[in-house]
Amino acid sequence: MSVPVLNVVDLKKRYAETTALGGVTFEVRPHEVVGLIGENGAGKSTLLKSLVGLVQPDSGRIELRGNAVKLRSVAHAGSAGIGMVFQEQSLIPNVTVAENILLGAEGGAVRGGIYRWRELARRAQVQLDKIGCLVDPMAITDTLSFAQRQLVEIAKVLAIEERTHAEPVVLLDEPTSVLDSDEIEILFAQIERLRTHASVVFVSHRLDEVMKVADRVYVLRNGQTVGEFVPGQTDEAELQRMMIGRDAQGSHYHEDAQVDVSAKPVRLRVSGVSLKGVCDAVSFDVRRGEVVGLAGVQGSGREELSRALFGAETLSSGHISIEGEVKRFRSPRAAIAAGFGFVPAERRREGMVATMTIAENVTLPHITTVCNGPFLDRPRERRIVNDWVQKLRVKAPSIAASIATLSGGNQQKAVLARWMVSGDLRVLILDHPTRGLDVGAKSEVYKLIRTLSATDVAIVLLADSLEETIAMSHRVIVMKDGKVSAEIPAPVSSKPSPLEILERMI
Amino acid sequence: MNTMTRSRRAIALATIAVSMAALAGCSASAVGSTSGAACAPEDIKLIGQVRNETNPYEKSWLDGGQELAESLDLEQKRLTYAGESPKQLEQIRQELSTGNPECMVLNVLPNSDSDTTPIVKAVEEAGAHVVTQWNKPADVHPWDGYDSWIAHITYDGVDSGYQIAKAMFESMGGEGNVIALQGILATAAAKDRFAGLELALEEYPGITLLDQQAADFDRTKAFDITKTLLTKYGADVGGVWAANDDMALGALKALDAAGLAGEVKVVGIDAVPEAVQAIEDGAITATVSSDGPWQGGIGLAMGYCALTGELDVTAQPNKNREFFAKQFLVTEDNAADYLTPSIDLADFDCANVFNRVDKALG
Amino acid sequence: MLGTYGPPAALLALCTAFSIASPQFRTWTNLRNVLDSASVLAVITVGLTFVLLLGAIDLSIEGVMAASGLSVALLLANNRNDVDLGFVAIIAAVALGACFGLANGLLSTRLRIPSFMTTLGVSAIGIGVATVLFGGIQPTISSPAVAEWANGQVLGLTRLTFVAAFVVVVGVLIQRYTRIGRYARVIGGAEDLAALSGVRVARYKTLAFTLAGALYGLGGVMVTIQLGSGIVAAGAGQNFTAITAAVVGGTLLSGGRGGVIQSVVGVLIVTVLANGLVLIGVSPYVQKAVQGIIVVAAVAITTWPLRERMRVVK
Repeated sequence: MSVPVLNVVDLKKRYAETTALGGVTFEVRPHEVVGLIGENGAGKSTLLKSLVGLVQPDSGRIELRGNAVKLRSVAHAGSAGIGMVFQEQSLIPNVTVAENILLGAEGGAVRGGIYRWRELARRAQVQLDKIGCLVDPMAITDTLSFAQRQLVEIAKVLAIEERTHAEPVVLLDEPTSVLDSDEIEILFAQIERLRTHASVVFVSHRLDEVMKVADRVYVLRNGQTVGEFVPGQTDEAELQRMMIGRDAQGSHYHEDAQVDVSAKPVRLRVSGVSLKGVCDAVSFDVRRGEVVGLAGVQGSGREELSRALFGAETLSSGHISIEGEVKRFRSPRAAIAAGFGFVPAERRREGMVATMTIAENVTLPHITTVCNGPFLDRPRERRIVNDWVQKLRVKAPSIAASIATLSGGNQQKAVLARWMVSGDLRVLILDHPTRGLDVGAKSEVYKLIRTLSATDVAIVLLADSLEETIAMSHRVIVMKDGKVSAEIPAPVSSKPSPLEILERMI
Repeated sequence: MNTMTRSRRAIALATIAVSMAALAGCSASAVGSTSGAACAPEDIKLIGQVRNETNPYEKSWLDGGQELAESLDLEQKRLTYAGESPKQLEQIRQELSTGNPECMVLNVLPNSDSDTTPIVKAVEEAGAHVVTQWNKPADVHPWDGYDSWIAHITYDGVDSGYQIAKAMFESMGGEGNVIALQGILATAAAKDRFAGLELALEEYPGITLLDQQAADFDRTKAFDITKTLLTKYGADVGGVWAANDDMALGALKALDAAGLAGEVKVVGIDAVPEAVQAIEDGAITATVSSDGPWQGGIGLAMGYCALTGELDVTAQPNKNREFFAKQFLVTEDNAADYLTPSIDLADFDCANVFNRVDKALG
Repeated sequence: MLGTYGPPAALLALCTAFSIASPQFRTWTNLRNVLDSASVLAVITVGLTFVLLLGAIDLSIEGVMAASGLSVALLLANNRNDVDLGFVAIIAAVALGACFGLANGLLSTRLRIPSFMTTLGVSAIGIGVATVLFGGIQPTISSPAVAEWANGQVLGLTRLTFVAAFVVVVGVLIQRYTRIGRYARVIGGAEDLAALSGVRVARYKTLAFTLAGALYGLGGVMVTIQLGSGIVAAGAGQNFTAITAAVVGGTLLSGGRGGVIQSVVGVLIVTVLANGLVLIGVSPYVQKAVQGIIVVAAVAITTWPLRERMRVVK
């Protein structure tokens, strides 16, 4: 067998108290797609960072084509032949695609500090052609769609090839987390193309994806490689066990806790709601305690609709009513006053104020419940927040700690606690509440949703996957091109199949 | 434990220091109020304070103060506060607390009307002597129970605006059109000076005010605005009245560029050296001098006389403790005298310190 | 659409309105005046644009213009000394400006102090240097050739107008075709991502500040030549005016958007507004308020399409 392109031997990294990497060993062979799988916190991101020079490992070796290397920076890793497609997009939005592809490595396209645009475009085109990407190299990057931008990122990484005169190792960090299912298919096709030019490391916490694209899979747990598998020759359940170190099957979604709501009165009624250019005459009901899943591909209008329900977008026609009372929200503030809660998909950006403490984040929308007139009642705030932090089992050193220091799952629990503090939550809109969470944290969020449902809160859920939508919902509203295309009941006894829903989505 | 003791000791020391300072403060003011002539001449500390020294006028103020100080074998401490009111008061407090306030004389240009009261109160409390110039709230007076606030001296903007207008109108033969460049409209100086122009306009019916614009006392703005006004009125403009010399010099440059220099009369106020030179060269008609070096010396002189016992502050009539000082019209005839501003030591003789009292405020 | 065409449309609308209201506005002499008045502001705003593209801010204009204005006045034939370096004096003053810009850049990038603070400090240093150079007597340029050069016309426009036009053209070329220009935009777009791609962010930031400083220096030289003397207040208020002009034209303070052309359109809007309001006879007591209203309206119209209920604006 040929020399591995990339060989990682017993890589270790400690941060003060915690071991991020406790001995990672794996290899990547030429033109191979290697999957790296593990829960959040398994050490995937630290590993990737050390492979592109953002983190210096304490011990262990990284060998490229048989030579040990010490990577100092992303640029240095690039010139050594390792490039990474970052999870958060790493393209500069306001310049051309060509500039992005060749940024920091323009070579002969810039002579004496002067740009030769034609040469720059030509060189960028070469990279785009490698993956058959039809984007104009002179287009401004932020005019592209999300999926197009990801292709540009891959093209950018491939530009390493010209610099090193050797085929690069491309690291893909959770590349599917921001894509819709059809875009994911396109990406997988690109990865197949990619392997003719490069070796690929595909990092994900989604088992199904890794099984699909990878030739070999390494499982990471607690900062160590705990196993190596070949997809198709291994039982998925066993992989799952290996990932989390315990039996993950069983009541992941707490389906047995789904309450019967058929006799409950309607709490939220959406009547003929239209949003200019997004959705048209959408109507549905949500009963007290009911979880209604909104399914749809990107562009179906479900995200915008969910934001509109919360008063963050302007309705062009139609209205919503709560317990029969018509409401017109001019702002999220009005919606909150009417007993609405909203958990946005972009947790870091919209869901929490990263610079504030847990307590401050929890009491943010209902600050008046902890105020005496204009003054904040700190002891009361502490009491209430402590109470909820315990109830929801938020793992935090103290409620005075910055929310940014918590893990994703605990952050999300604190965000949910925010809406429960007022004691008057009537409608909760959940936009991808489990995005980016690991398996254990997800399960806890599901349990929380069940608890809320049992206390008569009407819930609108935009889930991460169809499976999640089906398992969590009492009913699934399928949206397509801004209209409701189907309404499918999902009682515990007879959950619909993903295919049934998928058919109505596309 | 160790740090604990140390911090306690520090607190104790601080407490003692504060109480001692308080005691010292009490005794100082007690001495100051009973005895007016407690200082040997060589112990007197002279302080001049203006906004900044980038302004030729304010620099000449401090230079005048220095000249007087040297004639007395003393030094003048030069303070500038960059036009920041809090900084001005802080500087004064600093001086009062570090030196011996009983033998201190301050000649101060308060940043604005509202800064005067805290300054004179701080000085009064410490027992030093102070003269303020230009800015003061109308309802606060040195004779209202102040022993150490010797006088407030200011300069009549209406009068200076009037004098230069008159000089310009005369040189135009009492006939023609003028434009006016005002200062920052919200300031009293701009308002008063413009009122003086209006007064003069009433006396000269042959003169028409074509336009007036605010150029904010700024040379570049005056340059641009004058050019625009010349576009608008062309050769109709016979004179440019500017509320200070900087704007007059800006206007002069605009006239130069339009080829109208010499044909159009220009007047300003402040007698900055460059403007006086321009008068000498015949490019500008007139300006008004409030005599910066004299201003810098007079406050120190009054204080010096009070400390050496030659001037009894409380015995002075109100007209000497708050007055408009004389100003001087500078024209081609006397420009040479103002080219290099300097002081006449005789003005600062204790017998002469009130010689320039022109009229009462109001 | 509006974001791109709003400012030029606003400029056109202003010109049309003033032309109708005032016959003097549409004269060649006034065009010359407007362009002459705009020339200094244009030069410094081109410089500022590169800093704004970075997403940084530069408040040092006042100090840099003061220092370079005073130095050029003292290095050309003047009433204070016997030095007369001619054209070299101008180079020296521009170089001094560049040094101040370099200091801005180095302090911001190496000490990691926000540019807001460093440039304010450097401005104070500039004023300080100018004060020392001023030394109580205004240096007045005594060479009649300089005055003639400033007042003379070529093709019916002042020479400073051509200097400004040259700077604008060079500015556009730098922005489009050089690494400093492109990287300024890249850094303003996403500084952290640029660093990840191996762009030497600190170096290019420093270079952009230096370029800006040099142009402020040139602005100081131009004012000094225009007014015939070196005055410490040469750049008084120009910081605010330049930032206003850039933003009105569409160069955003958040960085990465806009550019030299946009900023220059903003400069013309600001200058035409000041000129036109005087010509149509708006009372000086309300002029500032009217200017403010028009500027706010122009910016509001320009950014209208970006308006969204949940968009955060700081």
